[in-house]
Amino acid sequence: MEKKGGFMGWLDKRLAVDSLWKVMMSEYYLPKNINFLWSFGVLTMLVFVILVISGIFVLMYYKPDSHMAFDSVNKTIMMDVAYGWVFRHTHAVAASIMFLVLFVHMGRGIYYGSYKAPREVVWVTGFILFVLMAATAFTGYLLPWGQMSYWAAQTITTLFSKIPFIGPDLVIWIRGNYIVEDATLTRFFALHVTLLPALILVFTAVHLYAVRIVGSNNEDGIPMTKEEKKEKGIPFWPVFMSKEYFVMSVFLLFFFFLVFFNYNFAMDPINFQPADYLQTPPHIYPEWYFLAFYEVLRGFFFSEALGLIAFVLSMFIPLFLPWLDTSPYPYVSGKHRPMFKVIWWIFVADFVALTILGKLPPTGLFAWIGFVTSIIYFIFFIALPIIAAIEKKKVATGGGR
Amino acid sequence: MKELKILAVLIVIVGVTYWGIEPLAHSIMHKHIEEAIHKYNLPDYKFSDLGSTPPLDGDPVKGKEAFQMFCTSCHGLKADGINPPMDAKTAAMSFGVVPPDLSNVTEFIDKKFLYHFLKDPAKATENKKFAMPAMGLNDEQIADIIAYLESKAKKVHGAELFKEACGRCHGAKYQKIYAETPPENLKKYLGKVPPDLSIIMKAKGEHYLVSFINKPQALLPGTSMPRVGLNKEATEELMKYLDEISDPHKEQRQKVGIIVLVYMLVMVGLTYAWKKKIWKNVH
Ligand code: HEC
Ligand code: HEC
Ligand code: HEM
Repeated sequence: MEKKGGFMGWLDKRLAVDSLWKVMMSEYYLPKNINFLWSFGVLTMLVFVILVISGIFVLMYYKPDSHMAFDSVNKTIMMDVAYGWVFRHTHAVAASIMFLVLFVHMGRGIYYGSYKAPREVVWVTGFILFVLMAATAFTGYLLPWGQMSYWAAQTITTLFSKIPFIGPDLVIWIRGNYIVEDATLTRFFALHVTLLPALILVFTAVHLYAVRIVGSNNEDGIPMTKEEKKEKGIPFWPVFMSKEYFVMSVFLLFFFFLVFFNYNFAMDPINFQPADYLQTPPHIYPEWYFLAFYEVLRGFFFSEALGLIAFVLSMFIPLFLPWLDTSPYPYVSGKHRPMFKVIWWIFVADFVALTILGKLPPTGLFAWIGFVTSIIYFIFFIALPIIAAIEKKKVATGGGR
Repeated sequence: MKELKILAVLIVIVGVTYWGIEPLAHSIMHKHIEEAIHKYNLPDYKFSDLGSTPPLDGDPVKGKEAFQMFCTSCHGLKADGINPPMDAKTAAMSFGVVPPDLSNVTEFIDKKFLYHFLKDPAKATENKKFAMPAMGLNDEQIADIIAYLESKAKKVHGAELFKEACGRCHGAKYQKIYAETPPENLKKYLGKVPPDLSIIMKAKGEHYLVSFINKPQALLPGTSMPRVGLNKEATEELMKYLDEISDPHKEQRQKVGIIVLVYMLVMVGLTYAWKKKIWKNVH
């Protein structure tokens, strides 16, 4: 980047690539006290790129028609096209792993208080990305037209019918028919390959822009100005990225192990049976990343109406974290907030429990544990303002930090 | 060090979740299957629920006579130049299913099972509406017929085995194998069209399939799929075939998988070295 001649000089005059590089890379500073969990943002981008590339390849042979979809996936792509199976396995595993990476990314954000001022916009755009990703995964899961594709879509779309007044009409509008069938497949296909990925791209750009403006948070949640970071921090390029590449390599090692040797969790065996609207499978469950919310739906006071309300709340309540948590501590990180730490761990444990219960049949003891855990899920969000109030008192009486 | 601790915590959380949604969930959802397998001690190649079998050392010559008397009104036996008495379409319409050619049945159907089957088809297959009637044969006639069938039978493998043992009801369309009986006849006879078996191995897994074929009623109570009485060798051979056709790129996947993992391992080493180098000067 030193010498000004040649092509780069020519380009710099026209596009200011030099300053762009500085702003984005070599003179963008990050705090030093961040750990590898801060790599998960870049990992989500990596997984998204993998999804797009593998998606384009499977798209070349996929047929969005209820009579052809199953065979186009399971025969054409998996058997006939050279290395078609690599792209399908990669796409399916990446979709699943995307949520693992996202959950870690969000959990990190919550633990270290990254959602708090001044990063509210980062949090909100991130949350929109989560919703978009969930919609993309949900629409994509119908495409192979297997038994689980079909019945998961049937079950989840049926939920909309419980909405007062407009519910029944809404369901038909979403499905394009009275039941899930060809019209549903083609519209899910359209959303899955065009609108939703495009929106994800747009919101990723805004999300990243917001992070660049307010800067990364750090383990201790110490607010730092740009100058402080420049002095004490590390530049994004090459220092942060050199670590990032290492994390990426380790991640990809794990990822490709799953793609080649352990893919059943992402490609449910039942989905290798073609969709049959006359035969309900004995167990219907969504993909693992929706299980926690699904369990809230089933477990909340064992009531369909309350369950549905709780389900919607459970998915959208994290959006409001920045305004639920009004703690006055200048160090936003949960690391220095003992009470917060406790409820964070309870929340994580509860989320894992809900995920596991979501796949088990909701009978006997499981139903009761599901009931309790689905209530605990909300305790985190109810406790936050209370903890913040206690912390405010402490600050007022000269305690805290 | 601290980062390793965080990684360890992450691995524990992910590990517990994985254990819950995979092994634990499957063991609970498939409990009734495991229980049935345990209860009936499946696969049971002795077909012990059918009781004892007399010694089966019949006379093939007398067997041929009996065969022509009792069986050729429905079955063919190409190995001995006996053609089926009617074409597939007519047979399907008369019986609901095309009676199989019996050239090689003794190679894949267990002999003891065959004895009980000829005695009482509905009981042996555990299908009350089984299309072949009991013919009131005595033990000697049965032993003779079996001896005759054995004298003509040849070993069959792969697709041939599949077609002869299951092909009257099931197809494997990815192999361009279609059920011999038209689906509408099967639907009328069995209440539903039997599923295509092209990728059944992926959907059900060998553990389930072996026991299901051995005793369908145990794993899918009330099902109209008859017990066909495959012997151990034929079951294993059939499993191998179903596995091959449902996952034809297994070998390629393992080979490519190893190469990719080795490549990533090298990348881990290289990127680690680079990180070390860059971070030496940070502090
Ligand atoms: C007389 C017809 C008939 C024959 C012969 C037959 N099947 Fe079936 N099979 C059926 C029917 C009908 C079903 C559907 C059962 C149900 O869903 O209740 C079925 C279902 C199956 C299933 C799915 C089981 C499940 O859990 O959904 C498998 C696997 C299967 N058969 C394998 C075989 C194999 C292997 C053979 C040959 C060794 C065979 N069948 C022979 C009629 C037959
Ligand atoms: C009235 C016609 C009829 C007669 C007579 C008849 N069969 Fe069958 N047989 C059938 C039909 C139909 C099937 C297939 C039924 C099904 O799969 O549901 C069958 C099936 C079989 C099978 C396959 C069983 C399995 O486990 O897959 C054997 C073996 C067999 N017959 C042997 C015989 C022998 C030996 C005789 C003479 C003693 C005989 N059959 C007489 C109609 C007949
Ligand atoms: C497609 C999805 C997403 C992509 C590509 C993405 C990408 C990124 C990247 C590259 C960063 C900077 C590096 C880092 O701090 O990890 C980041 C930061 C952040 N993201 Fe995301 N993200 C996504 C989804 C989300 C979601 C779902 C949330 C939460 C609801 C979220 C919340 C945040 C927060 C709070 C930060 C700032 C972290 C900090 O500075 O401590 N992101 N994101």
